[in-house]
Amino acid sequence: MSTQGKVTILKLPTGVPGLDEIVGGGLPEFSFNIIAGAPGSGKTTLAHQFVFANATPERPALYFTVLGESAIKMLRYQQQYTFFDPAKLPGSIRFINLSQVVLEKDLGAVLEEITKEVEKANPAVVVVDSFRTIARKPQSDMDLQSFIQRLALFLASWQATTFLIGEYAEEELRDNPIFTVADGLFWLRQTAERNSIVRKLQIIKLRGQASVPGLHTFRITDAGVQAFSRTFGLTERVKKQTGQRRLSFGIPELDVMLDGGVREGDSVLIAGSSGTGKSVLATQFIAEGISQGEPGIVAVFEERPQAYTERAISLGLDLETPQSEGKLTILYLRPLDLSVDETMQSILDAVQKIGAKRLVIDSLAGFEMALSPGFRADFRESLYRMIFALTGIGVTILSTVEVDESFTEFPFSTYSISFLCDDIVRLRYVSIDAQLRKIMVVIKMRGGNHAKDIREYEITPKGVVILGKRLTDFQGLISGIPVHSNRSGRVGGSLPPDPEVNDKS
Amino acid sequence: MTTPPQLRKLANRLVVCEAASSKASGPVESAVPRVYEKLRMRLSALAGVAGFQSLAFRALAQARSESPGLRLVEIAADGTLKGLGGVESSVDIDNDSAGGGGVVLIEQLLDLLLIFLGEALTLNLISDLWPDAAPEDCISGKGKSA
Repeated sequence: MSTQGKVTILKLPTGVPGLDEIVGGGLPEFSFNIIAGAPGSGKTTLAHQFVFANATPERPALYFTVLGESAIKMLRYQQQYTFFDPAKLPGSIRFINLSQVVLEKDLGAVLEEITKEVEKANPAVVVVDSFRTIARKPQSDMDLQSFIQRLALFLASWQATTFLIGEYAEEELRDNPIFTVADGLFWLRQTAERNSIVRKLQIIKLRGQASVPGLHTFRITDAGVQAFSRTFGLTERVKKQTGQRRLSFGIPELDVMLDGGVREGDSVLIAGSSGTGKSVLATQFIAEGISQGEPGIVAVFEERPQAYTERAISLGLDLETPQSEGKLTILYLRPLDLSVDETMQSILDAVQKIGAKRLVIDSLAGFEMALSPGFRADFRESLYRMIFALTGIGVTILSTVEVDESFTEFPFSTYSISFLCDDIVRLRYVSIDAQLRKIMVVIKMRGGNHAKDIREYEITPKGVVILGKRLTDFQGLISGIPVHSNRSGRVGGSLPPDPEVNDKS
Repeated sequence: MTTPPQLRKLANRLVVCEAASSKASGPVESAVPRVYEKLRMRLSALAGVAGFQSLAFRALAQARSESPGLRLVEIAADGTLKGLGGVESSVDIDNDSAGGGGVVLIEQLLDLLLIFLGEALTLNLISDLWPDAAPEDCISGKGKSA
């Protein structure tokens, strides 16, 4: 009992990575839960993970199997998962088949059989798989509602945490008595979207504690079910006070344009068309961070880590050494059918592992392409959650995005995500003196007094180098076809060479 | 289908263990049915009566090809054996050996367990039923599943 006299409900580990966060810290002890979903949605695997995480020789788990998958075949398959510990059978986990009772007798006999086994074993966990086959049985002496209520009361009295597994359709939610009695209702869904399968989990109901609402992506791997909370597991973390520290790009002129650098904990968007140097800027940003003792993560979607590292070498930047020293991780997130949540989990794991301060996402277009089609529709919303979560713990994010070059407009992004970014740097081509040259401008800097200058830059063997002063001799630079102020027509004069810049390049 | 030689050794050992443990309560010749019965009870609880019966049918069919005397044996609806008494079985506790058609049937049943449940779960199950049998000496290293 707590000091206020209120009962303390212990939270049991679910054994499912990510699920504890979703259910609010763990599953309430002695709760009576339903795992519902279509065949193949992972119900049995989830229940097994819970059982293996909680069963002990003193307080074992009883796993009742009914009609459906043969227990022997079930064990044959389940033991392929890494969580399956054969040493727990039969001492801590006991499988009991109820098929005969269900086939030959009524619900009263089923309850009697379960009661007998529970009294004998004093289990901490009871699973009935599949409960649906019991519920489908024609009712006789005991109606289904009475059976469920008596079962729930009995198992709670015996201090058992219970899972009933069933194949239910969502339209049954309204009038099936089992859902009324249950303390927790876990709904697993899998849907085909184009050529992809998307699995999602919803906690429809959980008495006694707050769970994270909404649909959470999950995946079934060799390790079993892994869930990805929509909050990315960051709800429990203390939000970091980022202060006013500025992070350098390693490009002094750009730092000046950014009023001293990127504010720590900001989300920066580098937007530009192909070949404007977005990835080069991103590489310089991460390399500068490492040189300042700030570990970094680069999430790449469009090229392999080796290619990324080799390009850095061509810019005179060594990304191999910091990787071997654990100061840099280059994540290659190319597999198709990813969810944002899975991607986020990979990034978060990497952030936590090396204590990263800077994160580069290169690029948002590649990120979107790696997602399952079903998740692309939610890309903006997912991106919002991701950026909010990461910047909340003090990580500074630099994302690159490719925009179509237009000579009639000046878009920042094809995703309408500029509202997600604290700072936006726009790169673009301009036509000057029969040359395709490059300009850079800081479009936005939340809470900062950034420069309004439009600056020309080049990509050199030392990376991005900003040339000269702001381009005062031209008008209409952001149109891509500027007019020289001192001449009458378009496509004006050349930009004068700057000795200082030449020294740098 | 032939079983690995270690399984015959294990089947022998279970029969000898059973004979030794119940020497006072019955003739050693009844050890084979008792081994079968222990397996039946445990596996019926795990897989259901019908589940065990299916396994037993398969084991018997396999065993008959090696031991024709098992033609006389039948499996009842509840998985129990009928007619095993008429099948030659021998148990020599002092020399730690057993033989005959009944042992072949046990061996085939164990082989099915190894195939479906794998080595670890099969060893656990046997150790639970016959704590002194040390089954790992016979089949350890055979792999997780066949």
